[in-house]
Amino acid sequence: MSHGLALDRAAWSSPWRTRSVRDKGVLSLGLLVAAVSLPPLPGDAAIVVVCLALLLGPIDVGAARLGRILWLPLVSIAIGVATVAVSVSWDAGVRLAVTPEGTAMAGHLAVRALAAVLAMFTLACSTPMVDLFSACRRARVPAPLVEIAALVYRFTFGLLESAYAVRDAQGARLGMVNRRTTMRSAGMGASALFLRAWDRARRLEEGLTGRGYTDTLVTLERPRRRSGAFLALSVAGLATLVAVSVAWEVVR
Amino acid sequence: MHIAEGFLPVTHCVAWYAVSAPFVIHGARRVIAESREHPESRLLLAAAGAFTFVLSSIKLPSVTGSSSHPTGTGLGAVLFGPPVMAFLSSVVLIFQALLLAHGGITTLGANVFSMGIVGPWVGYAFWVLAKRLRWNANVGVFLALAFADLSTYCVTSAQLAIAFPDPVSGLAGSLAKFLGVFALTQVPLALAEGVLGVLVFRLLRDVAHPELVKLGVLKPRANQAVA
Repeated sequence: MSHGLALDRAAWSSPWRTRSVRDKGVLSLGLLVAAVSLPPLPGDAAIVVVCLALLLGPIDVGAARLGRILWLPLVSIAIGVATVAVSVSWDAGVRLAVTPEGTAMAGHLAVRALAAVLAMFTLACSTPMVDLFSACRRARVPAPLVEIAALVYRFTFGLLESAYAVRDAQGARLGMVNRRTTMRSAGMGASALFLRAWDRARRLEEGLTGRGYTDTLVTLERPRRRSGAFLALSVAGLATLVAVSVAWEVVR
Repeated sequence: MHIAEGFLPVTHCVAWYAVSAPFVIHGARRVIAESREHPESRLLLAAAGAFTFVLSSIKLPSVTGSSSHPTGTGLGAVLFGPPVMAFLSSVVLIFQALLLAHGGITTLGANVFSMGIVGPWVGYAFWVLAKRLRWNANVGVFLALAFADLSTYCVTSAQLAIAFPDPVSGLAGSLAKFLGVFALTQVPLALAEGVLGVLVFRLLRDVAHPELVKLGVLKPRANQAVA
């Protein structure tokens, strides 16, 4: 789970945290849509380069942290790409083969998925979840839904702490020495977590009711920096990416 | 088991968003109605969402020697019902994408359909079936969790097969490939999640009986009903 905390920590400590969600959203979601829409060359390859430059430059994730948060999606992509690359037939018994079509499809897929993951990271590594909740409220998403999502986020970290503590305690008592004890420990751990989640929710509800809680937990927000220049540069960069990709296809 | 970010072509991303949207909107309306009627239920729903998210961090031993994690949606469907799980799963999947880099935003529609809609409904169907047939509740919980997991895995394989048909054997070959590759971990995982669910349910029945009665999962005990 350390990669998960690494993503959250990266978002909170990013120099881009003070930028408005609108500005970052246009850039990141634009890159994401471009990644799944443009051809792998030169479109997705260019997006990979741009995103790496943003993540290691102004977003300031750091190479080591980027490696930690990237390994899980890379493994997932590798398994999927390998499955696509290998063809199966059963006319004369089950036969596996690597065909040029399968290899080409897998290659395109690998570049596209990598570009999309890095594009998503430009948002995830620069924007904490609480900023996204505030943006949802401003976008008039129904308050109870945003409130529940925000509460899930708040509960998650306390429960994760509990999960680590339970796991460490079980490990110290030899609760993970074989498959049987591991299953038993996992069952006990999940039950303990459910009860803690339930108990914390009930205690929080009682405490908030006593303080007049009726609909939302109102918190103060720091003003976010909106920049017309940033927005214009993002749109111009995305338009250039699309234009170059389309021109490349036409010329080819 | 989620489809990674950017893995599906753009037309498939849009199509799966369109298919999942009515279920998520229906679930969201249920959640809004519930929270307006009983404001205190927001905190319990949030606790359920956080529990589902954290459950995915509990590693289970797998037959391949590695480990994997439960989806948690089968247990959620038994406790809270499938419509609520459609919304809660969407929230959890967004968190998994943005906090764990697991799944993605472009593939959210497809992942919500497999894990937040098909999985909970299949799990819930087995739970209701077991109750109708008056089977032991532990059997019902095992079937609900195991089949919620299995159906999620089958639907994900089908989604990938539709997106990437095999150049030689077409859709059927691709489906066989994806089912075969993921079966190594997912079939044992589904069975493990079923067993885990039974262990959790037995413990909850002993220590959280009033809460399960409040959720409508269990009937009140005779002395409670009289009281």
